[in-house]
Parts: sequence; structure tokens; C-alpha cells
Amino acid sequence: MPRWGMVIDLDKCTACQACVVACRAENTVPFAGPEESAKNRPIFWMELLAVIEGEYPRVRGQFIPRPCMHCDNPPCVQVCPVNATWKAEDGLVVQDYDRCIGCRYCMVACPYGARFFNWYRPSWPTPLPQQHNPDLSPHRLPTGGRQGPEVRPIGVVEKCTFCIHRLEKAKQRAQAEGRDVRDGDYVTACTQTCPAKAIFFGDLDDPTSQVYKLSRSRRAVRLLEELGTEPRVYYLSGG
Amino acid sequence: MQRIKSLEGRLQPLLRIGPGYLLGVLALLAIVGWAAYVYVVQQLRLGLGVTGMNTPTYWGLYIVNFVFFVGLSAGGVIVASLVHAFNIEKFKSVARIAELLALSCLLLAILFITLDLGRPDRLFNLVRYGRLGSPLIWDVIVISTYLLVSMAYGYFGTRLDLVKCLKLFPSRRWLYRVLALGYIDDSPRAVARDRKILKALAVIALPLAVALHSVTAWILGLLKAKPGWHSALLGPLFVISATVSGLALVILAVAFVKRVLKLPIKEELLEDLGRLLALAIPVLGYFLFAELLTVTFAAEPTKIAIFEEMIVGKWAPIFWLDLILGLVLPLVILLKPSPRLILAGGAVAVLVLTPIAYLFPRAFPSLLSRLFPTVAILPTWVEYPLVWITILVIALLVLAHPRWAASTRVGVAAFLVVLGVLAERFNIVVPPELHPLLPYPHGVYSPTWVEYTIVAGVYALGILFFVVCSKLFPLVELEEG
Repeated sequence: MPRWGMVIDLDKCTACQACVVACRAENTVPFAGPEESAKNRPIFWMELLAVIEGEYPRVRGQFIPRPCMHCDNPPCVQVCPVNATWKAEDGLVVQDYDRCIGCRYCMVACPYGARFFNWYRPSWPTPLPQQHNPDLSPHRLPTGGRQGPEVRPIGVVEKCTFCIHRLEKAKQRAQAEGRDVRDGDYVTACTQTCPAKAIFFGDLDDPTSQVYKLSRSRRAVRLLEELGTEPRVYYLSGG
Repeated sequence: MQRIKSLEGRLQPLLRIGPGYLLGVLALLAIVGWAAYVYVVQQLRLGLGVTGMNTPTYWGLYIVNFVFFVGLSAGGVIVASLVHAFNIEKFKSVARIAELLALSCLLLAILFITLDLGRPDRLFNLVRYGRLGSPLIWDVIVISTYLLVSMAYGYFGTRLDLVKCLKLFPSRRWLYRVLALGYIDDSPRAVARDRKILKALAVIALPLAVALHSVTAWILGLLKAKPGWHSALLGPLFVISATVSGLALVILAVAFVKRVLKLPIKEELLEDLGRLLALAIPVLGYFLFAELLTVTFAAEPTKIAIFEEMIVGKWAPIFWLDLILGLVLPLVILLKPSPRLILAGGAVAVLVLTPIAYLFPRAFPSLLSRLFPTVAILPTWVEYPLVWITILVIALLVLAHPRWAASTRVGVAAFLVVLGVLAERFNIVVPPELHPLLPYPHGVYSPTWVEYTIVAGVYALGILFFVVCSKLFPLVELEEG
């Protein structure tokens, strides 16, 4: 089974935020509006973190796109009281909207701030609802719960899924061809969109894959590695 | 008839419902009703967005109060174990009050956690899909166990008196039969069995209480994502905070029962409870000091920012309120120093503080200029001794009044302690959330009126429960302990 992971080349990233926009459109991320945004309540499955170092005029800025890290030791899964989030068999950290009780313990436990809460009923100003991703996989989680880009109920937690609906389709295609799903069968929406080709997605265990090579490069680092969460998102930094 | 008269003092509140009582109950009902309305119309309908919580302040006043009320429930087990595990019979007359408080505090804690949920309709998922690895489920298990033990304790501690009431007031027979669950045997054998069960329960309850408060701390303390919580000291700190606040609440309730409901409780008993509290407060102070020293000396960047904000920054008023008004002041009041000693202590404090404040002005931000920005500012090395120590000494001279009844003096100290621990709970839960590990913007939190209203409603509900219970069964043991 592939170990899906991501490599983001920070030297290539131009901070254009196309990944952020693509993710919102792909995953039906709720709209917050200026008022709620001012209250720190917008939802970003993919978000651009700005790191400013030094003081003017010797300033160095860096921008870090932040999806869910899909940790191999996920602190969020460790604390969920109702099994509403878990590591699926291929290692992606999934979230069941229909089981979540909205206690926000996983959000408190996530060191990356990758989880978001539906403080209000998700809404979109017209005509945005017409642009909801029609490409919903009929697949449900083994629990029967809703997941991925489906419109979320009020009061539950959500997060980046590595475009799990695309993975489902890729799996079905592979099955039709009588083989297992493998590197290159699908990429996430952010990977597909990035104009600078700074985001790579694939099987971290496949020695022929690009992410395999890049994740083993000398420039590869992961966020808050010292916490032992074993994130599956690598960053190439240095330049 | 003769028997009723001899018991009159203890049974009076059961027999009489005065206009003051009715007015109080109506006021409490109004607050509870209004809060319930606000909860349904605002929070339930519109979502948790009507609170002040946000990213990254995922937990706010509700969780602060959850932690606070779990802690307050400790008083019941302390008094119960004093009476039944350590055989200190004199506390027997307040054991029932303490146990009733423990029970209501636990119920309120459960209510607060439900209020905090984004999906209260899925509360039952905790049982259906409970994941044993989650500290929250540990808490669910230990709270429900503790609740059962508390209820059993309350039942076996009250049963005999219910049987007595049943015989004294035939008109209310059905009520006492229901409360006693139909078990109305008062033969010496049954009474002896009740005592044995009570003793066993008190012994079980002691380790269970340690587990309860530790697990509540571990919900926060086991998380590496929040360096401000991630400390091995948090468990023991919660145990001692619970002991302090729980005892203080028992004192407060006993003073209330004595002064307002006019039940015959000896003043000495309050003095004794106050002495226990005076023993526990310094332990809590020591734990806080140990944590503060470790953090400030090592100055780990992730922790020191939180503590700086807590001690000298935005949350400093809450921190110092907790320390001075919630720990130091009540401790001195409980120790009952003579006015001469207070004055001498104040003089020593001035002598010590003035040079320190003069040499380290940055450690003493001017509070006067914050409170009254227009007034000409005194140098802080004058402000601290002149204004603040003077106020403290006057407050002590008034509050530690040797001629005041224990129920007043100890009651005031207990009230301050309860407030102080509430402030401490706030500072434990909220400030560490505001500092994300990754370079996100700094968090903010200001509770909204909806949160304040709902919290006030829950407080009122707790008081209402206690006050109604005072009419259902005798709060003080009928038999002289």
C-alpha cells in the first residue's frame, strides 16, 4: 500500500496562494466573511504561514504552505474520545463528520493548527453554492460517516484529507485495471494547481517516485520534528 | 410532639417555607430560565460561534468552569473521609452538606462539558464509540464512577434520617419513602450495616478522588502541543487545588447554612475546617512556586512567553488576584493574627519591598497609572508600599477581626479562596492556548455575553439544587455526632 506524502519546495514557492484557493474550491471549505475572519474563525485546510525573521531593513521572509501533516503518530487521533478521527489503512488521517461530537480536543492537541471547527452552520454567499465540487465520491467511511468535501454539519471539526475523494476515484480506476493504486495515480488539488510546481505528492515508500527522492534530500525538513509526530509533509528549504 | 420540639432546630427549615426563601428560589429560577432560553435560542440554534471562542482559543469559559467544578467537588470526599475513614466524628454534622455539594458540583461539571460540545445531540457517542485511549474517556469513566460513589454515600448517610422524618411527618410520608428508595428499616442491624457501607465507601472515595482530579489535569497536561500545560506537575497541582477549593466551598456552604438557614452548627466546627484550609493553602502556593521557578529559570522559549504574559502581561491582574487575594489574604485571615502583628508585618513588608521596587522598577509595573491614567504617577517604589500594602493591611485589619464570629471570618476567607482558584483555573486553561507553536497570529479571547449568561445560569442552577435539597431532607444529621 502506498504511503501517501507531500513535499513542498519552499525555494520554488512564490506565496501566490493558488493552493489555498484551489483547496477551498475542491473541498467545499465554508466561507467565513470579513466579520468572522476578524474573530479568527476562518477555515483553511491549506494555509500560508508567514515567517518573518529579523528587523527592518535586514528582514527575511518565508512563506510556508500548511496542509494537514497526516502524521504517522497523530496526536489528534490519540485524544479523540469517540473515534471520529483515525488513521485509515493507507495511513491518511480521516475525519468522520457524522460521529464528531465537537469537543475540539483534537484541535487543542494538534501542534500544527491544522484542524478547524464549524463555529456556525457552513454557508456561502450566492452564487458560491453553485460552485460546490460536484465530483463527490459516493464512498463513505467504513463507519458510514460523511467525509472529505461533502458539506459539513454545524459544530464538527474538519481538516485537510489529502483529497481523499480523488484517492477513492484513483482506487476504483486501479481496481478496474486489476492492479493496486500506486504513485502517480492521483495528486491533491493543491499539487495540481501550484503554478510554480513547488508541491509534490506521491508514495513516500516507492523508490522510483519523486517524493521518495525529494524527501530524502539534504534540504528536507519537517515541521516540529522534535515532537515525534512523524509528519508526512516534507519541506525543502535552504536556498 | 415532644420529639419534634427537641429536633426543632434541625428540622425548622424543613417545616417552614418563608417569603424570603420563595423570593430567592424565584430569582434563581428566573436566572436559570433566562440562561436556558439564551442557550437554546443563541448557542444551540446558531452554533458555538456566539461564544468568544475561536482559533486557537478552542476552549474557553465552559472548560475553565468544568475544571473548576470538578475541583470543587473534592470537599465532599475530604469531609467524608475525615468522618468515616479517620473517625473524626465532630465533622459528622457537616458530612451531608459536603457530600451534597460534591454531588451537585459533579453534575454541574458534566453540564459544563455538555455545554461546550459543538454537537450536544451526540453526547451519547461518548458511550457508544468511547475510545479508551483518550484522556477524555478516562475522565468520563472516573467522573461517572465517582458520581455513583457520591450518590451511594449520600444515600447511606441520609437514609436513617429519612426514616426518622418519615415517622415524624406522616403527611410527607411518600416523599421520604421515595428518597429512601423504599428501604426504611431502622433496626440496629440495618444501622450498623449502613455504617459499614459508609466506611467502605469513604475508603474507596479517597483514591478515586485523587484519580478524578489527576485525570482532569491530564486532559490538559498530556498534550505536547501546548507547552504551557505539558507539565508533570499539573496532576498533583490539580489534586491540591481541588482540596483547597473543595474545602473552601464546604466552609462557604456551612456558613451559609448556619447564617441564612439558621441551622445549629457549632462555630468551632467552622474554625476547625478553616484550620484544615490553612494547612492546604501553603501546599498549593508551594506547587505554584515550583512550577513558576522551573519555567522562569529554564526560560524555554515556548513556555516563557506564556508565563510572561500571565505574570506581567495581559493576564497579570488575574494572576495576582489569585495569588494575593486568593491565597495570601485568606491564609492570613485564617491564621487570625492580632492587629499588632498585622501592623508589624505590614511595616516589615514596606521595609523589604521599597528597596526592591526601587532597584528593580521593571518588575513592578505601576497599577495606579493603569487604573487612573490621568492622575500624576507616583514612582512605583512609593506606590507599592504606600498604596498597595496599606490597602492590604487595612483589609486584613478588617477581615481578620478577632471578635468576628468564625462563620463570618472563615466564610470570607473561604469565599476569597474559591474566587482565587477560579482565577487560577482560568490562567491554567486559557493563556497557554493563545501561543501556537507555529508562527500563527497570537490568539485572543474575550467571552461574549452569551457565555457569561450561560455560566451564570449554571451557577444559579447549582445554588437552586442545594437550596431545594435543604427543604427535602435535613442537611444536618439529626443525631448529635
